This record gives sequence, structure tokens and C-alpha cells, in this order.
Amino acid sequence: MTVAARDLVTVARFDARLFWRDRTALSTSVTLFLLLGVGLPVMADRLQPGHPEAVVAQHLGILSMLLVLATFGQVVNTLTTRRDQLLLKRLRATGMADRDILGGGVLNLVLQNTLLAAVVSVALYALTSLPVPRDPLLLLVAVVAGAAVLCLLGTAFTPLVPRPEVGAVMTMPFFLLAGVGAGGFGPLTEMLPGWVSTLLGLLPTDAVADIARIAYAADGTFGGDLAAAAGPALKLAAWAAIGLFAVSRWFRWDPRRQ
Amino acid sequence: MTAILVDGLRKHYGDFAAVRDVSFDVSQGEVFALLGRNGAGKTTTLEVLAGFAAPDAGTVRVLGLDPVKDRTEVRRSCGIMLQEAGFFPDLTVAQTVDAWRDFVAAPRPRDEALEMAGLTAKAGTKVRQLSGGEKRRLDLALAILSRPDVLFLDEPTTGMDPEARRNTWDVIRDLAGQGTTVLLTTHYLEEAQRLASRMAIMDHGEVVASGGMAETLAAQTGRVAFELPGAVTPEELPLPPSSVEGRTAVYRVADPDLAARTLLNWAGERGLRLHGLEVRTASLEDLFLDLAADADGHPENEHAKEVA
Repeated sequence: MTVAARDLVTVARFDARLFWRDRTALSTSVTLFLLLGVGLPVMADRLQPGHPEAVVAQHLGILSMLLVLATFGQVVNTLTTRRDQLLLKRLRATGMADRDILGGGVLNLVLQNTLLAAVVSVALYALTSLPVPRDPLLLLVAVVAGAAVLCLLGTAFTPLVPRPEVGAVMTMPFFLLAGVGAGGFGPLTEMLPGWVSTLLGLLPTDAVADIARIAYAADGTFGGDLAAAAGPALKLAAWAAIGLFAVSRWFRWDPRRQ
Repeated sequence: MTAILVDGLRKHYGDFAAVRDVSFDVSQGEVFALLGRNGAGKTTTLEVLAGFAAPDAGTVRVLGLDPVKDRTEVRRSCGIMLQEAGFFPDLTVAQTVDAWRDFVAAPRPRDEALEMAGLTAKAGTKVRQLSGGEKRRLDLALAILSRPDVLFLDEPTTGMDPEARRNTWDVIRDLAGQGTTVLLTTHYLEEAQRLASRMAIMDHGEVVASGGMAETLAAQTGRVAFELPGAVTPEELPLPPSSVEGRTAVYRVADPDLAARTLLNWAGERGLRLHGLEVRTASLEDLFLDLAADADGHPENEHAKEVA
């Protein structure tokens, strides 16, 4: 392992340890994730038995929302708190590279949320009529890439958050937009004007849900899946590029000086 | 060999000039003190040296490297004790040091770092339960963890009790003895005087005194003051006072005990009493009052130099 990768993994492990000791993080990012992630699709299945496609829609919609909460929201909360308590500065004083300090946190959240998404999915295969995905690898790619891009965007968003206390309020709109766009609240987009759905379709969570839907689609080929996923994948790549650019340009390690 | 070089450093934050034209250099293995009050620009200078901020003008080198361009390399050879950086409050002292041992290359053993910082007894205590002085010691433990060649200490003993302060001084002296270059900021005259082989006094972003003059000023750590007895004029006193404020004669001297004894003997021989006699260690504020008086060309200040 190169030195850089060693630091990245060290920070990820450290972040994981802190995360699992943090009750607030556990209650929002884990408990809520599991409760809603499993609960809502189970309800949908009970209300409309025999419609597995409705369960898939509900599952992917709510999963996209929860990913926003547990990655984007969590990153904003962690980084603004660490920034304001001058913990980022202290971490930087170690000599670790900036990208490892930020990247380690992202790595941890990506792993963690992939695991949570897997737990939710397995629970739904057991409890509901949700079918096992035809292309599980593609589903995995969607979750991992989606979580990574959302973490990156969360990191890029922190300069706009003046204090950690307002982080939750400021990330809430994205959580709701993701829910509307990806179908977490049901097929709302069908009732909205066309241009709104077009705009919502640009969201990274929408791309994640799109790729996941391809993975769950009843039939298709490997080549066909790749071709179909290319569009949303490109969308995610564009968001990643925007995120990286914004972080390198505007990220603040210190609280604002007066 | 020059370990730290600062030449013509300027740093602004918005309209505020935190540092304007500061220059000094520190040789390898030397302890150098930046003495100054809050807002003098000491911390900003240190932050530029540690690569946390880029200079607006001037040259800054640490071990011959540019702290901004070669940030990672500079940080790896430096230990930094930050003035107000936080800790993870729910980790214990030992857990914090363990985590930081993973973050730096070739770290000291945990117990050695805790021992040096005088925190062995607090190893199992959560950081949120530490006192201010204990947090400073944990800061010190993290700063020395990587056996750095250069140590930046921003007000290392603020909030420490006298014993912890002496212990910290010992640690710093030991490290310097082993060849570590130390740049420390402080607003304690005594600290600068005891630890540093050279110093500069900063005020309003500038070096106002350096070299021999700074050392002379810092050496005047004693202050003796009393009310002039009824009919006595300042000229009659056995020692010329540094200043007279109303009816209070004030001395700024290196050895306040000796001055007080001389004055008391003189008063005793004449059957006079020195009301409100006060003998204490001077603060940096006292020193700056002197400097300000100097700048205004007050004649009383000539006496200060004679007494010193």
C-alpha cells in the first residue's frame, strides 16, 4: 500500500470509530435509514400486494433520499463541526495530505452506506415481494458511485454553511428534492409540470435511481444495461467533476475569520 | 544552519494587517520566542510558517522549504501546538494519542508522549473532562509525537498551573538540547526569558524590539511600586524611579528584591514608611507601557535603563 492509501484508510477507520460512538449520527444516519428504508417499502407492499414494480419504485425512491441524508447531510454535519472546532486544522497539522483527510471520511461513509443499503435490500427481499436484482453488480455500482458523489457534493457545500447548527436545515431541501425526484414520496413527478421533472432529473440521486432501476429491470443484457446506464453515469460523472472543482476552489478549513 | 527564515513577511485578513513586515531567523536547535500581546501577529506568523496561510508578501522558509508549496513535507518535519484547536471530546487522552500515532510517521510510543507531557495519570480521562491546562498538555503530547525537527508552540503554557508550566519548560529545553528547533510565542516575559536564547517582541504586526534590546526589556521582569512619603521628592530617593504616577513611584528592574531592600533600608534609616509597597513580576503590559513611554520620549524612562 502506498503512503497515501495508508493515510486514507487510517482516516476512514478513525472516522468509522467516531461515527459508531456518536449517538446523534447513529439515530439519524443509521436508525432512520433502516426504519424508513425497510418500513416504507414494506408498507407499500402491504397496501398494494402483488405489485412488485411499485415496491421497486418505493424502495429506490426512499433509498435515494436516505442516501442524501446519510452521505450529503452527514458529511456537511461532520465537516462543519470539525471546521468550527478547529479539528480539521488539527488533522492538517499531522502532515497528512488534505485529500486523505477529506477522502478518508468519504471512504468511510461510502462503505457504511453501501452496507446499510445492502441490509435494507436483503430485509426487503425477505419481507416483501421486492425481487432480487437481475444485475446486482450494477446496483452496487449505483450505490457506491452515488454515495461517493453525494459525499463530494456535501463537502463542496460546506463553505455555504455558516455554522454546524444550521447544516441540517440547509441540507433538508436537497433531501426533499431527492425524494420528489426519485419517487420517494410516490410518483409525484407525474403530477408536476414537465420542466420541473426535467430539472429534478438532473439531480445525482435521480441518476442513482435510474441506474438502480436498470439493475432491477426484469429483462436485459449486460451490454444493454451498460448502454442504458451510460446516460445516468455521465450525469454522476459531471456532478463529481463539479464537486471536485468546487472543493478545490472554495473549501474552507477554518471558521471564517472576523 | 538556519532552520526557520522569515523575511519581510506581510499578511492581511481583509482590511486588517495582521502582520506587516516581520523578519527573523532561527538556527537549528535554537529556542526563539516571539513575545507579544494578543493581536500582535504572533499566531499569524506561526500559521504562515506552518503552511496554514500563504504570505501576502515576503519569504518564509522552514528547513529550506516553502511551507505553502511543500506543505506536506514541511508538516511532516514539524510539530505544531496550536493555540485553540479542538480535540475529539469523547475520546480519552490515550485514545487521542493512539489515533494521532496512526496519523504521523515513526511516532513516539504512547506512554512516552504522555509521560513527557505529564499526562500519564489522565490517560483514561475523556478529553471533554480535562481542564484548560491539561488540554494544553495534550496538545504538547501531540506536537512532539512525531519527534519533529522543528516545533512551533503557540502560547504553550497558557492556562497551565505553575508545576505544569515548569514541566513544559523542561520538556522544551530537553528537546532543544537534542537538536529540535523551537519557535514559541508567549505573552509571559518570564517564559521568553527562561526558555529562549533569542527573542523578538511584536506589537501591532511588527517587531518592535529584537536581539539584545528585546532581551534587556524582557529581563526587567520586576516591578516595585509605593506611595512617596509625605515630603519626599522623587529626586531624594536612593534609586531613581522608572516613572512617577501621581504620588506613586514605580521601578522596573531585573531584581525587584534588591531594589525593594535598598528602598526599605533607606526608609528605615529615616523613620519613613513606604505605604502601598508592592513588589511583583512585571507583565508584558508593563513592558509595553515602557516602550510607549520610550516612543513618546519621556525622560523618566532614562532611569529605567540605568536601574536595569
